[in-house]
Amino acid sequence: MRKVGIVGIGQSRFGIRSDASLRELSFEAAKASLDDAGIPLDDVQAMVVSVASDELSYALQPSAQVVDYLGFNPKPSFRVEGACASGSMAVRTGWMTVASGLADLVIVVGAEKMTEVSTAAVTDVLGRAGDFMWEYPFGMTFPGYYALIARAHMAKYGTTEEQLSMVAVKNHHYGALNPYAHMRKEISLDKAMSSFTVADPLKLYDCCLISDGAAAIVLASDKLAGSLSKKPVWISGLGLGTDTISLSDRRDITTLDATVEAARQAYDMAGIGPKDIDVAVVHDCFTIAEIAAYEDLGFCAKGEGGKLIEEKRTYIGGDIPVNVDGGLKSKGHPIGATGVAMAAEIAKQLRGEADPGRQVENARIGLSHNVGGNGQHAAVHVFQVD
Amino acid sequence: MNEKVYGARCKDCGKEMYPAHARCPECGSEKLEPLEIAGQGKVLTYTDLYALPLDYERRYLRLAIVELDSGLRATGQLLDEKPKLGKRVRTTIGVVRQSGDRKIHGLQFVPV
Repeated sequence: MRKVGIVGIGQSRFGIRSDASLRELSFEAAKASLDDAGIPLDDVQAMVVSVASDELSYALQPSAQVVDYLGFNPKPSFRVEGACASGSMAVRTGWMTVASGLADLVIVVGAEKMTEVSTAAVTDVLGRAGDFMWEYPFGMTFPGYYALIARAHMAKYGTTEEQLSMVAVKNHHYGALNPYAHMRKEISLDKAMSSFTVADPLKLYDCCLISDGAAAIVLASDKLAGSLSKKPVWISGLGLGTDTISLSDRRDITTLDATVEAARQAYDMAGIGPKDIDVAVVHDCFTIAEIAAYEDLGFCAKGEGGKLIEEKRTYIGGDIPVNVDGGLKSKGHPIGATGVAMAAEIAKQLRGEADPGRQVENARIGLSHNVGGNGQHAAVHVFQVD
Repeated sequence: MNEKVYGARCKDCGKEMYPAHARCPECGSEKLEPLEIAGQGKVLTYTDLYALPLDYERRYLRLAIVELDSGLRATGQLLDEKPKLGKRVRTTIGVVRQSGDRKIHGLQFVPV
């Protein structure tokens, strides 16, 4: 298979975007990625679209809106989904399309419009990404799933509520420096700890945001990538793991085995290990999810994730800077856009173009980790520059 | 009321599972029979939900994953005023959600 490089990145501002529809958000991101690549849309041969939920946008076939509005007809386009990992599924599919030789130049667009329905309705729709028959009907929600994981993790490993809040403090620190972030403000540990309970032991600041937004990347075959970009960002490893639909059916409730499997595949393919990663974005839909990701990706031993954040080893200057774009926590989590935005952020870091205060110096190898549902899917991608 | 909840048992290797699968995750057999999910167990983890989904008009909802004595785990509503990890509970079946006129029955756990 051919090498595939990212030659263009773009993102809309994340947030409550009542000024823009799904198609307009997609245009913002797609246009920015094409401008970044320095190519017109006419040169692109295929488009992969990621929109996670029909129910949030009230639209069946939301990808058709995006494709038509962007002016891509009649070229090939299709949509992929994997709940909150939809964006990484789209990146993977775009990679496959180029690596296989089916196309030389592909655009991947992820978008979600989440703020036009009530918070209770969003909570309900997302709850259905879990086991629709055997867990959702009890009133289960996404904060509920991760709260069950958090309490089990705290009981087994001694992880504390303070450590959970420290993840939020870090991610808000970096999100405040990111002009595309939904909530650009620092928070104190005290503020996070004293916020109201959403799903005990998770509090408001343990939970990611409900956001509108879009992201896009342009992928090119090896030869084309070299001529289009001074610094193509190569996708050198891809992993995709799956696990049981019911949380109760997991081997270990404190571990996302789908992440462990996806990471193993991605590290093997790239020929690297967790110690080689210079910068990572991980799926912090809840603070406990970031702590579990540290462990499941091999950044520390199982059970030591809480200590890793407490010792600030995932800040810039630490062993492995994580979510220095603000993460889902502060940057926001328009679910279909998230995986694509992760790839765009790592590309930005490896090109050395991140905003002042949140650039990891001389980063050469980056990783993205994107979870679908509460671990039914996990995608891990490794990115490198020459 | 005679509602029951079923998982499955593999007729070939005896593996028990909940929820049911079409194919035994242990031996790959497709010969599976229904297995009633009921009995006693201990609370593995629980949460009180304050941000509730649609259909619930109350202050909070207490949910748990329980490990049954059979080793199977199940998610359900925890009807216990003093929840604690490891506490002994038993299964019961009740209305876990009402959406309009539609009542959904499911597993609940009560202290032994």
